[in-house]
Amino acid sequence: MRAIKGVLLTCDSAVKQILLTMNEKDPFVIEDLDDYHLVIKADEEYRVRRELEAELEKNTYSLETN
Amino acid sequence: MPVQSLQNTDVIVPQHAPHPLLPFLQSQSQTTLTRLYQRPSSCLSIFRLLGPIERQLIMNLLWLESALSVATMSAWVLPEGKNAYDSALTVMTGLHIAPNSTVKLALNPTFKSSLRQAITGGGNTGSFGVPTDKDGKRQSANIENLDAYALERWETILHYMVSSGQGQNPTKPSQGVLYLLQRSGLMNNAHGAALQITSSGFQFLLHSPHDQLWNLLLQYLHMAEERQMDLVEVLSFLFMLSTMDLGREYSTEPLSETQKAMLEDLRDYGLVWQRKTSSKRFSPTRLATTLTSSSPPLPSSHSTGGSRTADGTGAVALSSGAAQQGFIVLETNYRIYAYTDNPLQTAVLNLFITMKYRFPNLVVGMLTRESVRKALGNGISADQIISYLTTHAHPQMRKNNPLLPVTVQDQIRLWELERNRLKSAEGYLYKDFASQADYEYVLAYAKQLDVVLWENAAKRCFFGTLEGHANVRGFIERRTGSV
Repeated sequence: MRAIKGVLLTCDSAVKQILLTMNEKDPFVIEDLDDYHLVIKADEEYRVRRELEAELEKNTYSLETN
Repeated sequence: MPVQSLQNTDVIVPQHAPHPLLPFLQSQSQTTLTRLYQRPSSCLSIFRLLGPIERQLIMNLLWLESALSVATMSAWVLPEGKNAYDSALTVMTGLHIAPNSTVKLALNPTFKSSLRQAITGGGNTGSFGVPTDKDGKRQSANIENLDAYALERWETILHYMVSSGQGQNPTKPSQGVLYLLQRSGLMNNAHGAALQITSSGFQFLLHSPHDQLWNLLLQYLHMAEERQMDLVEVLSFLFMLSTMDLGREYSTEPLSETQKAMLEDLRDYGLVWQRKTSSKRFSPTRLATTLTSSSPPLPSSHSTGGSRTADGTGAVALSSGAAQQGFIVLETNYRIYAYTDNPLQTAVLNLFITMKYRFPNLVVGMLTRESVRKALGNGISADQIISYLTTHAHPQMRKNNPLLPVTVQDQIRLWELERNRLKSAEGYLYKDFASQADYEYVLAYAKQLDVVLWENAAKRCFFGTLEGHANVRGFIERRTGSV
């Protein structure tokens, strides 16, 4: 039996795929649980959130009128 | 996540929602409440704060000399109204207005005689305040001045809050008010010397003035407990103010020491007006006299100083009665036209819209992704934005059904959802169990503690919260130790 400290992330599958891609570059995932859950290193959470935010931001376009 | 937990605290409080003061009163001891019930004005005010069913029950019981059997009263209740009836009774017993009994129904005798006295008049307890005689030398404050004073005070507080984060230097309210704002968690000074508005402060700004006022007063009551002030004196003074006549002067002579000390605080909040701090008379403002009524606490919310137009059409109200006096037009293209010249309202709008143009009586802006995200980041929820826009919609908008364009409403909610695509929880992953039985045994224990966030029997692992780890580990150690 083992107990591993970490942070459980609950997300939709699209976000999970982005996270897995990010993981290839700079690993932080401890365990890939299922389609909606990942366990990652606790001290990486802030960085992951920030990078994910930046990644998602690339896919939004704002229509600046006038 | 603050955004989610706050969805219950909607800005528009439905008529039957219990008044925020009632839970506080219910938390008080029976002796405190009974002492409070000795004052007719307090009984009348509490009566006004109660819901319609409670009021109905009290009126039924008020003039009965003897107790009524519970069965008799329940005979009046239709089966579908049973729940409402029961919860009304729970409220009444919680306030010790009616004793908790399964056989007889009656009113607390103190409450009964005081409320009777409040309704029929008589007695000279002075619980409704003692008006002073007209002073021939000086003119007493007229209603218009009182309104302007209350408005100025109140808007100073709100304006200070809203502009605290924007590097402006608005007029500072008094030290007492600042302390109250800090204590109530609406503002804090985590980042150095200057006070900063918090996310609950942002939400506070979108509430109706009536809710805002009670919010602060509740905090004041909690502080009064800590300052060793007599709570009965404090509460009864607030209730006394709420039953006073607007535009009349009252004497400070019959007030207790505690209540005289309160005058100073209430002056800062704009609830009472005094010519001088040493004055022996005081006048309640509209903020005070509407505390327990449903009429709007502020006459109009024009630019500070209150140059009100006579017909009231220009009077843009921040008040709960603003339904008839809204000023915001929202179009399907996310554009917002706000007919206002009030700096406070403009500042509040600025929390979640991008300003485009400003004219003397009109502000034009857009709801954009950035502006809404900024608001969400400040802890304001999508529902609060929507309900603020609904409450303050321009009369023209009221012809639309639904009131706000559905596309815009949905988009605001989508923007909110977008922020919450990732939920996280710290804890421990338990895996590599020796046997299925082992796994199930530990899991059952962890479930008993309610610390399991995720489990998968096939993989034989589960994820438990950080708080539960010590217990689960202890459990496993005890188990392996005993084998």
